Amino acid sequence: MGTEALSLEGVSIRLGKTLVLDRISLEVPAGSFTCLLGPSGCGKTTLLRSIAGFAPLAAGDIKVGGNSIATLAPEARQTAMVFQSYALWPHMSVAGNLTYPLKLRGLPKAEREKRANAILSLLGLEGYGPRAVTSLSGGQRQRVALGRALIIDPPLLLLDEPLSNLDASIRRSLRGELRRLQQKVGITTIMVTHDQDEALAMADRIVLMRDGQIVQVAGPEDLYSAPADLGAAQFLGVDNVLAVAPDDPAAQGATLVGFRTEDARVFTDDMEHPDAPALARKGKVTTCAYAGGGYQVGIDVAGESLSACSARPVSPGDDALLSVPASMLMSFDANTRLLQGIRH
Amino acid sequence: MTATTSADARQTPPDPVPGSASRRLSGMLPGLLLVAPALTAIGLLYAAPLVRSLVTAFVGADGTFTFANLEKALEFYGADILFSILVTLASLALIAATSIAIAGYLTLGQSRWAVPLLRWMYRWPLFIPFIVAGQTARSFLARNGMLNTLLADAGVLDAAAAQSLLDWRGLVLTFAWKQVPFVTLLLAGAMASLDRSTIEAARNLGASRLRCLFEIVLPQVRPQLFVALVLSLVTLLSVLSVPVMLISGNPTMMTAMMAHRVTYYGDYAVANALGLFSYLLTAAAAWAYLRMSLKEKANP
Repeated sequence: MGTEALSLEGVSIRLGKTLVLDRISLEVPAGSFTCLLGPSGCGKTTLLRSIAGFAPLAAGDIKVGGNSIATLAPEARQTAMVFQSYALWPHMSVAGNLTYPLKLRGLPKAEREKRANAILSLLGLEGYGPRAVTSLSGGQRQRVALGRALIIDPPLLLLDEPLSNLDASIRRSLRGELRRLQQKVGITTIMVTHDQDEALAMADRIVLMRDGQIVQVAGPEDLYSAPADLGAAQFLGVDNVLAVAPDDPAAQGATLVGFRTEDARVFTDDMEHPDAPALARKGKVTTCAYAGGGYQVGIDVAGESLSACSARPVSPGDDALLSVPASMLMSFDANTRLLQGIRH
Repeated sequence: MTATTSADARQTPPDPVPGSASRRLSGMLPGLLLVAPALTAIGLLYAAPLVRSLVTAFVGADGTFTFANLEKALEFYGADILFSILVTLASLALIAATSIAIAGYLTLGQSRWAVPLLRWMYRWPLFIPFIVAGQTARSFLARNGMLNTLLADAGVLDAAAAQSLLDWRGLVLTFAWKQVPFVTLLLAGAMASLDRSTIEAARNLGASRLRCLFEIVLPQVRPQLFVALVLSLVTLLSVLSVPVMLISGNPTMMTAMMAHRVTYYGDYAVANALGLFSYLLTAAAAWAYLRMSLKEKANP
C-alpha cells in the first residue's frame, strides 16, 4: 500500500456540549514520526481516535494521501492503530491475532502464515505463534499489537500511548526498538504520549497540544529549547520561573525568565563562584536531596521556591547563590509568550 | 522398661495439646450452629423431596424395587419426552439467535435513538409471568387470533388459509418471548464488560460490525451465553402453565403430562419417572457446562 501523508483541516470534535478539539489543522509528511504531546485531557487521544474513525467530526476534514477519509467507517480507513491496553483478542493465539486482519482481507492461509512468521521475526518473537496471548508479558503483548497493526502494511500507523503500561526499563528499550522499526518500515506514524522524554527521544516532529488546540509544532530540539509560551515551557520541564530583575541577562522587553533545574547551580560561600554572564540570586537552602550523580537543592529566594543542582551536598539553612548561565535562560514577555529560548 | 517407653514415644508422637480434638470440635460449634438453619432448610425443603421423588420412581405398588414405572413412562409418554426435548432445543436456538442479535446491536449499534429504545424495551417480558404470557400467546396465535388478523388485514395472508399456531410453534415462540430478555440481560452485560478496545481494534483492522460480533465479541462471551441457556433450559423444562394453555391433546411437554398423571390418576410413581427424565436432561446440560468451565480454567 505504501506510506501516505496525512492532513487535518479544521478538525473540530464535540462531546456533548464540550468542544474537545477546536479547529485543528495539521500536515503530517509521509514517512515521518509525529508525536502528539500534551497533558491529560488536552484532546490528543481524541484527535488520534478521530483519524481512526472512532470520534465523529463536528467540522473539518481528514485526508490520507490527498483522499478524504472523514466520512468512512473505521474498517474502511486502512489506518492501523495500536491501543494503550494492547487490545489483543484473548480468544486467539499470537498467530491468530496477527493473521486475523489478513483473513479479513481474504488472503489465503499459506500467505497469512508466511506474513505472520515474517512479522514475528521482525519483532524478535520467533516461535511465539501458537502461544496464547494471555501468557505473554506486557512488552511481548505490545510487540504483538504492533505486529498486528503493521501486518496489513497500512498507509498510517496510529499509536495511543503504546508504552505507558510498561516498566521503565522495558519502556526505554522498546522506545528505541519502535523508532528503529518505524524507520526501517518507513511508515507515517502518529503517536500520542503525555511523556515528554518519550516524545523528545522518538519523534521527528512534536505537536504540543493544550485545551483542544495545537500550541506548537516543532522538532524535538526546537521544542525543548524554544517552547512557544510559558505554559508549554512548564510542561517541558521548565520548573523555575522568576520576575526579571534589572541586571538579569534576559532578552529585551522580558518580564519573566524561566530555566530548568538541571541548568541551575547552587554555590555556598566556600565554593568558587562562576565568572560567565549569568542570572544570579541570593537565598537560603531549604532542602538538599541526592539525585544520583549530584544533589537537587531547594532554595528560597525572597519568598520564591526555586531549585537547582549542586555537585556537593549543602546544608539546609545555609546562605547560597543560585546561578544560571545566560544561554540557558528563557525569556517571556508580559503575555507569557517566548521572547528568547535556550541558545546552544 | 524405659527403652520400651522411649520406643513407643518415637512411634506415636505425643499429642502436643492434650484434648485438642475435642477443643477443635467445640471451636467449630459456633460455625456449625450458624449454617445449621440453612442446611436444615436445604435438606428438608430441597434434598429430601428430590431424593424421595427419585426413589419413588423406582418403587412399585407393592413397595419393591422396579423399573416398571420408567417403562410405563416411556411407553405412554415417550413421544412427549421427545417432543419436550425438541421443543426445548428449538426454543433455545431461537432464544440464542434473538438474544445475540439484540445484545449485539446494543453493543455495536450506533443509532442514537434505536439503541436506547431497544435497551429500554427488551426487558419488559421479564416482568410478565409465564401464565400471562401463555394467555396472551393463546389469543395472539390462535386461528382467529391477532397475528392472523393482522396478516390478513395487511393482505399478506388469505384469511381462509390461516392456521392456528397453537402447537409446537406456539410453544417455541412463547418460550422464546419469555426467555429472550433474561438471556439478553446476561449477554448484553457480559458484552458491555468486554475491553471495548478489542472491538475497536478489530474494526480498525478491517472487520465489519457483523464480523466483529461473531468473531470478536461472541467468542469472548461464550461462557456467559452458555450459562444463560442452561438456566433457560431448566426454566423451560419446569413451566407448566404455557403448555397447558397452548396445547390441547398430544404430544405435549412433560410437565403437562406429569400434572395430568398426578391430577387424574394420583399416580406419583409414573409422574416421578417422567420427572427423572427432566433431571437427566438438565443434568446433562449442567455437566456440559461444568466441563466447559473446567476446560476454560485449565487454559485461560
